[in-house]
Amino acid sequence: MSWHADAQTLERYATNTLDDVHAYSLEAHLLTCERCRMGVGNAVDRAGLDELWDAIAAVVDAPAPGPVERGLLALGIRQHIARLLAATPSLRISWLGAQAFLLGLTAFSVSVSDGTPRESTALVAFLTVAALLPVAGVAIAYGPGVDPTYEVGLASPMRSFRLLLIRAVAVLGTSIALATVAATAIPGLPWVSAAWLLPSLGLTLATLVASTYVRPVMAAAVVSGTWALVVTSAAYRVHDGLAAFRGQGQVWFVFIIALSVVLLAARRSAFEQGAGT
Amino acid sequence: MAIRTDSDDAELLAAVADKDRDALRLLYDRHAPWLVLRLARRCADPGIVEEVVQDTFVAVWKGARRFRGEGDVAAWIWGIGIRRLIDRLRRHPAPIPSTVGRNAVVVSAEEEVLLGVEHGDLGAALNRLSPELRAVVQATVLDGLTTREASRLLGIPQGTVKTRMMRAKRELREALA
Repeated sequence: MSWHADAQTLERYATNTLDDVHAYSLEAHLLTCERCRMGVGNAVDRAGLDELWDAIAAVVDAPAPGPVERGLLALGIRQHIARLLAATPSLRISWLGAQAFLLGLTAFSVSVSDGTPRESTALVAFLTVAALLPVAGVAIAYGPGVDPTYEVGLASPMRSFRLLLIRAVAVLGTSIALATVAATAIPGLPWVSAAWLLPSLGLTLATLVASTYVRPVMAAAVVSGTWALVVTSAAYRVHDGLAAFRGQGQVWFVFIIALSVVLLAARRSAFEQGAGT
Repeated sequence: MAIRTDSDDAELLAAVADKDRDALRLLYDRHAPWLVLRLARRCADPGIVEEVVQDTFVAVWKGARRFRGEGDVAAWIWGIGIRRLIDRLRRHPAPIPSTVGRNAVVVSAEEEVLLGVEHGDLGAALNRLSPELRAVVQATVLDGLTTREASRLLGIPQGTVKTRMMRAKRELREALA
């Protein structure tokens, strides 16, 4: 470096009283001269810089978002919603993987089972599983004991009910998407491979309503148990494994969905006190 | 790579790329002060300057790998800082610092010699430019901004940046002829 700026110039620059032309040459010089950079920098308030560093450190030390959260952000979902969804136990990669595995297995067993897929036990198994997965997902999406952010959620300015709905929609969305993919693996694609859709909606909503009375896990257990009972008893009564999924059953689920929506709206205040605790 | 307080900027930046928080702190201590001052000459709102400095070092933390080792680290940091400022001003325009009063400073002959550039005719010619024309020269020549970036920084249309730059060039050419 052939020259350095003198103390007076540095001071004038730091106090913003140096004329433009001198400031230009000093600024060009500063980019390549550490000594002069330090010289002007000494005039800057240390306490303010330390405070600013704390703000930077807070961003730098924040945990990096996981793959689910990054994916959600890439989809244009707002940051705080993405964080809430990513903290949902039933939206973790492991849970999604388990669902995909179970659906894939049952769908595979349908496609390799003997006789017509229409009557097979494997098909009943696939439909039952596809309808119950979102129920299980919702059960562990929210509530004390399973949700790592449960206490945080209670104390947060967002309503618990809204949080539950956001997560339930996300859980339903992923489960339905996975089940749809699995259903396409069943050869012939008979209408029955979509027959799980209304039951899964109805059962999930019924679980949400029941969670206003008892813990979500308990609610899901009761709803799933009832559902399994209905499927088997209907199958034995009319000697048709798919009885519960046929026309009449579907009509019942439309009714259950409508009733659950009404009940859920009426019971929403139960969430604000902490469901079933 | 272990960093020390006397590691050079490029070494620190390499360590930052490997998520070394101490290296970022050292870089911050070296570069935040002059960055604050240089940004303050281009934006009169200290709150915005602070935000921009914060954004800049967060960007350095996230993008340290993008420094290709060409040129000075200070110039690289300035490139990030000025563009963050422009982004910020595009969303929330802020006043540009007044240059009134700066020109009244009497410069000693000794300083003239030390600072080099303005020792010659160019300094005198630049000084004779109106503040509006000088601001455009500063943004496009000194800060190396594009016409579009300069228009955002100065809060004037791109066409105005171009015409002022042409006028400034003409006046400088005449003064130096």
